[in-house]
Amino acid sequence: MSVKTISCDELIPGYKFPPATYELSASLVSKYLKAVDSAGDGFVPPLAITACAIAAMTKSFAPPSGAVVIHASQELEFFKLVPIGATIECHTRVAQKITRSKMSMLILEHEVFDEGKEKVQSGRATIALPA
Amino acid sequence: MLTDIQEGKALSPVIKHITQEKINLYAEASGDFNPIHVDESFAAKTPLGGTIAHGMLNLAYVSEMMASAFGRSWLSGGKLRARFKEPARPGDTLTISGKIDCVEQKDDVSYANCSFECRNQKGEMIVTGETIVKFSKDEKYDRK
Repeated sequence: MSVKTISCDELIPGYKFPPATYELSASLVSKYLKAVDSAGDGFVPPLAITACAIAAMTKSFAPPSGAVVIHASQELEFFKLVPIGATIECHTRVAQKITRSKMSMLILEHEVFDEGKEKVQSGRATIALPA
Repeated sequence: MLTDIQEGKALSPVIKHITQEKINLYAEASGDFNPIHVDESFAAKTPLGGTIAHGMLNLAYVSEMMASAFGRSWLSGGKLRARFKEPARPGDTLTISGKIDCVEQKDDVSYANCSFECRNQKGEMIVTGETIVKFSKDEKYDRK
């Protein structure tokens, strides 16, 4: 299914990215663990879940061509263990946008829920990009 | 895992070598193909002068250190705040270190407040931040 991409101008406070669902299969977790050069511990690494939340956002957001997007800061909170094989749903919204001169600072907040609708993680990222 | 959660205790550091191959693998795993990470010719023309690792790749190493120290308590009750100071680049060797700054107790729950930093082989600060880990009081805790 194709996802409509949106521009930076459309990212205004309150904007919600389309929610995305991921099955955290053994192969997906294994691919992540190989990428981060880690052995893992039998559960889904919480940062792998964060990666899904970011992927959900980046597949629908197109930064200006040639733009350098900088990740300035990140907050994360983990609420429960997530077993391999679980399915999660990621929700991301624009909490704040500050535009000064030629740069915009976006504050993005994400929440991730499991099949039982229990929150497993939340986060807040600050991203700098050309206005 | 830590056997005693003690104020001032250093966490076992994690050391990782960054390569373009690892950055590309992370791009595939995360779906973040921003050209500043994966397109060497594009990145060379930017003020950064070359590709850089994803900030979340650096944070994955921080999380690995925290999970090694606190196990499931980190995975199910961890909290992190990080500031990205400088980019990590292919060829860099990162050392992620941290320590327990203080332990607080509220009711039957304890919280280990830690600080961490990630530096490259030149000693430059790449990421700095704080974490909080919630753990039950039956886990060993020794306040000096």
